[in-house]
Amino acid sequence: MFSKILIANRGEIAVRVIRACKEMGIRTVAIYSEADRNSLHVRLADEAICVGGPKSEQSYLNIPAIVSAAEITDVDGIHPGYGFLSQNAHFAEICESCNITFIGPTAACIRLMGDKLAAKDLMRKTGIPIIPGSMSAIRNKEDALKTARRVQYPVIVKAAAGGGGRGMRVCHNDVRLISALMTCQAEAEASFGNSDVFVEKYLSEPRHIEFQILADQQGRVIHLGERDCTIQRRHQKLIEESPSPAVDPKLRRKMGDLAVRGAKAAGYVSAGTIEFLLDKDGSFYFIEMNTRIQVEHPVTEMVTGIDLIKEQIRVAAGESLTVKQDDVSLHGWAIECRVNAEDPSNGFTPSPGRITLYHEPGGRGVRVDTHVFSGYDVPPYYDSLLAKLITVGETRHDAIRVMQRALDEYLIEPLRTTIPLHKQIFSDPTFWRGQIATDYIDRQLGENE
Amino acid sequence: MDKRLKSSEREAFRLIEEMLQLMESRGLVELEMEQQGLRIRLKKASSGPAPQLVEYVAGTPHPAASPGGKPLEEGHRVVIKSPMVGTFYRAAAPDAPPFVEIGQDLEVGQIVCIIEAMKLMNEIKSETAGRIAEVLVENGAPVEFGQPLFSVEPR
Repeated sequence: MFSKILIANRGEIAVRVIRACKEMGIRTVAIYSEADRNSLHVRLADEAICVGGPKSEQSYLNIPAIVSAAEITDVDGIHPGYGFLSQNAHFAEICESCNITFIGPTAACIRLMGDKLAAKDLMRKTGIPIIPGSMSAIRNKEDALKTARRVQYPVIVKAAAGGGGRGMRVCHNDVRLISALMTCQAEAEASFGNSDVFVEKYLSEPRHIEFQILADQQGRVIHLGERDCTIQRRHQKLIEESPSPAVDPKLRRKMGDLAVRGAKAAGYVSAGTIEFLLDKDGSFYFIEMNTRIQVEHPVTEMVTGIDLIKEQIRVAAGESLTVKQDDVSLHGWAIECRVNAEDPSNGFTPSPGRITLYHEPGGRGVRVDTHVFSGYDVPPYYDSLLAKLITVGETRHDAIRVMQRALDEYLIEPLRTTIPLHKQIFSDPTFWRGQIATDYIDRQLGENE
Repeated sequence: MDKRLKSSEREAFRLIEEMLQLMESRGLVELEMEQQGLRIRLKKASSGPAPQLVEYVAGTPHPAASPGGKPLEEGHRVVIKSPMVGTFYRAAAPDAPPFVEIGQDLEVGQIVCIIEAMKLMNEIKSETAGRIAEVLVENGAPVEFGQPLFSVEPR
């Protein structure tokens, strides 16, 4: 087992990992930028090393500084969290060469799954349904138009090296497709350093269903059920729940088994997520695999009772998974709201600044994962996530009622946050009925303008 | 205080109030303070007792990409800060003499120490001319980004 772990991240996930380490008796090292000097993760860790200036490139993406920090504090493991370097195969390799365990899958696996086309190809070969579309990078306009002809409009143009909803465009006709090609290629080059794009069929009103995977170094792979992350804005998730109102036990078994098969084929180790799109007719398609712990992992933890971060750490230390597939069952219902420092009534403009009054909701069925506190200065340099509010109930309606109650208690003054938007969603009868698709937010906002 | 003011303006007012109090209690005629990109100078008019606001520069972003080697005024001494994370060495090798000693004269560009990071030895050069006043880190100790290494009496 590890004696000391460095957390190569910040914010709420750094706090989450530090908490797990503390409970396991593992010493912790936090890294921080100059802008995060007073951050909660810095205060909670046993040791803290400043790695650079406020911008991400200077600090949380600064591989030499982070590896140096790991060396001078003599850690034996690094947990990359999510975002930042968590899916950076190069970073994973450097850790390996420095004899520090990277808590996640192998560099080779990160690289494989990071290439969306290669991942699709592997899944196809493994017998997992994939979205109809191009199987290699688009070479020219004719290529794109032929693909669109074959799979039929609407189509989506996506960056092969992409993620996070960037470098994507939905097209309904040839003219749009051609202009989208150029825009996406430029965006992809700028964001990911790789201008490869491909074209896929765009499913209208699909649900985003993802399966949580856990795998150990002994070759055991299990799934912990699904999360429904259909409520998104610009391809960024806003609300997640487990289980999904659209998945019955039979479908869960079917999709879960395929997710496990896919993870095995990729030689996966650690926690990961296989994402599917579920169409209204019940057909589903693999879209991508995320080779990291995810923001929304708490909803799975709440319905399965399994601590995903601790499992990641155990697996990385060479231990076996503590549960078998037959032991996994989902009890009750969990929902998570991402509380972001953004103003939903003003185009979601970021709203950093000092929190003068912070009061968390509490009581039965409420879990809050956050790094913020009264007096904390939310820096403008990083993503806008302030907190994750998770509620649990016996049924979906129970979980929703707890969420409504909790949202009413939540104070994060004087910042503008997405709490008012969440309140709106949770009182919407369409949401209560669970009849949602990925365009829900845009339609919600459109109706209310 | 008017809640409709932007937080930057509230910060400015708060700073001005603090400065006014300081000027009164210490009998100062002129006071300039800089805090997080906000610089304010107050100067008493020769006749009246009330200081006048002379200059208000707000919102300049915190200097980015400022390598730790950039000097910072602390009193009248200049502090040389570490531009990276690593291990601090006072000499090029274990048996070699230290690059600088207390009291030694210092020129701009002169090597003051080595910081080892990921098996690479990085020579740290001074951006200030003067005299080494203090050595703030022990030989072989780990240092973080921005950590003070030496204080220098500038020439």
